[in-house]
Amino acid sequence: MGVRFGWSQAPRRSIRAFAFGIMLAATAGWAAGAVAEELPTIAGAADLQFALTDVAKAFEAETGLEVKLAFGSSGNFARQIRQGAPFEMYLSADENYVLELNKDGFTRDDGALYAVGRIVIIVPHGSPLESDGTLGDLRAALEDGRVQKFAIANPEHAPYGRRAEEALRHAGLREAIQDRLVLGENVSQAAQFATSGSTDGGIIAYSLALSPKVSVLGTFELIPEEWHAPLRQRMVLLENAGNTAERFFAFVQEPEARSVMRRYGFVLPGEES
Amino acid sequence: MDCRGGSDGSSAKVCRGLSVRLVQGTPIPLVATFACAPGEMLALVGPSGSGKSTILRTIAGLYRPKNGSVGVDREAWFDSEAGVWVPAHRRRAGLVFQSYALFPHLTALDNVTAALGHLSRGERRARAGQLLELVHLAGLEGRRPAELSGGQQQRVAVARALGREPKVLLLDEPFSAVDKATRQKLYRELAAMRQRLSMPVVLVTHDLDEALMLADRLSLLHHGRTLQDGSPLQVMQQPATLEAARLVGQRNLFDAIVLEHQAPPGFTLLRWCGRVLEADRNPVYPAGASVSWMIPSSHLVLHRRDRPSRGEHENPVPGVITECLALGETTSCALAVDGRAELSLAFSVPSHVAARNRLAVGETATVSLLASGIHLMPPEDSSRPVG
Amino acid sequence: MDWTALRLSLQLGALTVLLLLPIGIWAGRRLAYRDFPGKVVTEALVALPLVLPPTVFGYYLLVGFGAASPIGQVWQSLFDRPLVFTFEGLLVASVIFNLPFAIQPMQRGFEAIPREVREAAACCGMSPWRALMRIELPLAWPSILTAMVLSFAHTLGEFGIVLMVGGSIPGETKTIAIAIYDRVQAFDDMAAAQMSALLLAISLATIALTYGLSRRVGRQLG
Repeated sequence: MGVRFGWSQAPRRSIRAFAFGIMLAATAGWAAGAVAEELPTIAGAADLQFALTDVAKAFEAETGLEVKLAFGSSGNFARQIRQGAPFEMYLSADENYVLELNKDGFTRDDGALYAVGRIVIIVPHGSPLESDGTLGDLRAALEDGRVQKFAIANPEHAPYGRRAEEALRHAGLREAIQDRLVLGENVSQAAQFATSGSTDGGIIAYSLALSPKVSVLGTFELIPEEWHAPLRQRMVLLENAGNTAERFFAFVQEPEARSVMRRYGFVLPGEES
Repeated sequence: MDCRGGSDGSSAKVCRGLSVRLVQGTPIPLVATFACAPGEMLALVGPSGSGKSTILRTIAGLYRPKNGSVGVDREAWFDSEAGVWVPAHRRRAGLVFQSYALFPHLTALDNVTAALGHLSRGERRARAGQLLELVHLAGLEGRRPAELSGGQQQRVAVARALGREPKVLLLDEPFSAVDKATRQKLYRELAAMRQRLSMPVVLVTHDLDEALMLADRLSLLHHGRTLQDGSPLQVMQQPATLEAARLVGQRNLFDAIVLEHQAPPGFTLLRWCGRVLEADRNPVYPAGASVSWMIPSSHLVLHRRDRPSRGEHENPVPGVITECLALGETTSCALAVDGRAELSLAFSVPSHVAARNRLAVGETATVSLLASGIHLMPPEDSSRPVG
Repeated sequence: MDWTALRLSLQLGALTVLLLLPIGIWAGRRLAYRDFPGKVVTEALVALPLVLPPTVFGYYLLVGFGAASPIGQVWQSLFDRPLVFTFEGLLVASVIFNLPFAIQPMQRGFEAIPREVREAAACCGMSPWRALMRIELPLAWPSILTAMVLSFAHTLGEFGIVLMVGGSIPGETKTIAIAIYDRVQAFDDMAAAQMSALLLAISLATIALTYGLSRRVGRQLG
């Protein structure tokens, strides 16, 4: 039919621009997706945010191979792996998660211990709290009302949160601090809460506190390791692990990677005191 | 109208021109039957809600009733018994909507071109131009509907409907939204155009005068039912029932008893109000029967005061003027027969006549009821219309 | 600035829009033109994602499409990948969750076309398809464009569902909204700020375009 559309009224330019933008986005996305396809995804516990990033950089420098890192709470990752998440390697902050996954057949084997972690109390600059590792100041602050909000990771699925809870219980503060607790989804978010000034402080991973980005934000002190169960951090290759993941798994146990881990306050297997 | 039994064996009578038969209870009650020959204009008249538009839409294929048939020129467009239903876009029905329904984003020319899908691309613009010239819109082809007046939009709608080379042209109250002066002009143009149209034309209107002016035949509708079918004058002056009479606006409606039928060429005598009326011979109603009757205002003649009248002695009825309204050039009056207010004869005279005869409320006057105007109908509670 | 995440988000938005265009036009038209038993329920179902918390939706997606579900297992056997934790899973979730953003504006657009204009198209001999292309779409295009723009922007910002169903896998399901979240947790404020500013700009542009278009709808048919 020779009917002119009547589209001359439409700002043709904006439709064309939008349509073009969409096509461009789609094709660009396909390209990006195609490339990213090849790299294995490594699931790392949140406390490894900085440490593992450095290890991966060293790995790339040495082998030329890249890996994709995803950080989150160990419990969350364990759940996702059970639901078929396509990770190739899993570094947990609690070895039980790894052992359970192995028992249920999601992993190649029972993996390897790669580090033992510590927890610290951290307070942001200007906080009414002091970074007292014996939690004595925290006790006093609870009594005189200095502390309004205190951050830890969610004990339900974050190992560092469970340890923080155990430490608080050991110090007899668990009940008293209950309604002032702010729970981070993982220990990274807890660190975020603890240092941003929106809380008065928190208990987080030593490895996070040591990183330059975090240490400038406050002061921290180690909490005695007898006060909680040990943070035995175990890693494992998953069923669909490929070549690169296998090499990375090996790399983490080599001296170069170990020295990175040591820098972040981890105690290494074989060096426990 | 040329009708023959369906040659394809279908139960519907398929005729030349348009033939419509619809029967439906719900959701919209319809009991309508009528036909329209090629070149003829049929007016569908009735009050709002009488189903006129629905019928038009049924012919166009926009509404599908439960039972019935619609056929044009031996082609069955709808036949519920045979399961035939031709969708609207495959019918050749030109419909001019009450709201014109022009495509707002297209120019006048493109609106018409939209209906010319059956022509080749090259021919379309030329033909559309011709059609717009036909409706006197040459020069306005490039305008959009928003830039056209109501009357101009209507013409575009007509041109578009005609572009389809339709087998039947349907006009849905096309003049209702237009001012009086434009309406008069459009009446004349439509009348002129009709001479060139060889298809049946169906005009829906609630305006009886319009129907009288334009249509060859009139179908009176009420609540979806066809009450009467015939020439406009026929329906107006010889309504089949009291209901029809009221619908066409007749005011002089009374009851009477048939006295006798004189031998031809005599009259039928009625007893009414203690007097005997002479009416045109109509033996349908037996002597002694109750009837209703009516007389149109046009058949009431005022006895002039100043001089004796000739030929005005038919059925003289004296009375008292109870109403005398000067409405422009015409004066509308009501006469209380024998001074009785409940028996009122309505009539109108030119205003100068009213003045000369000194018609005023309270004055006595006499009118004659012309025998040829007295029309008999079944009495009030009868349900049987007389054709 | 996480370019991979940005490209992922753009791709997700673009594909969602492309898929929703025919779905929206079809559903929007049907709802606009017809009255059928259960229409109210259908409209409510379409509107559901507007009020449903994303996590509820994410939960049902996990239950319905996860590795343990029948659908998930069929998918796995067909494509050797799970439906959750993949871009395809996000796309499915995104299309469903954006249904009201696509369908409702388009429905309004088609409703605004006077019924008699559509009937006139049929009386002019235009088949339903012709009438759609020549009459309905040109009249409804501002609403259609609004629907597409809204769906695109909404997809870019989608967080809760992506987090629950996607798993924040870089290059696969880590969209820009997730990346912002991730960068904040990694104490990388600069990256978080950059990406947030970008999303803010896109959102503003979307709203401006939508408002401008809705004024045009009024003028078009007025």
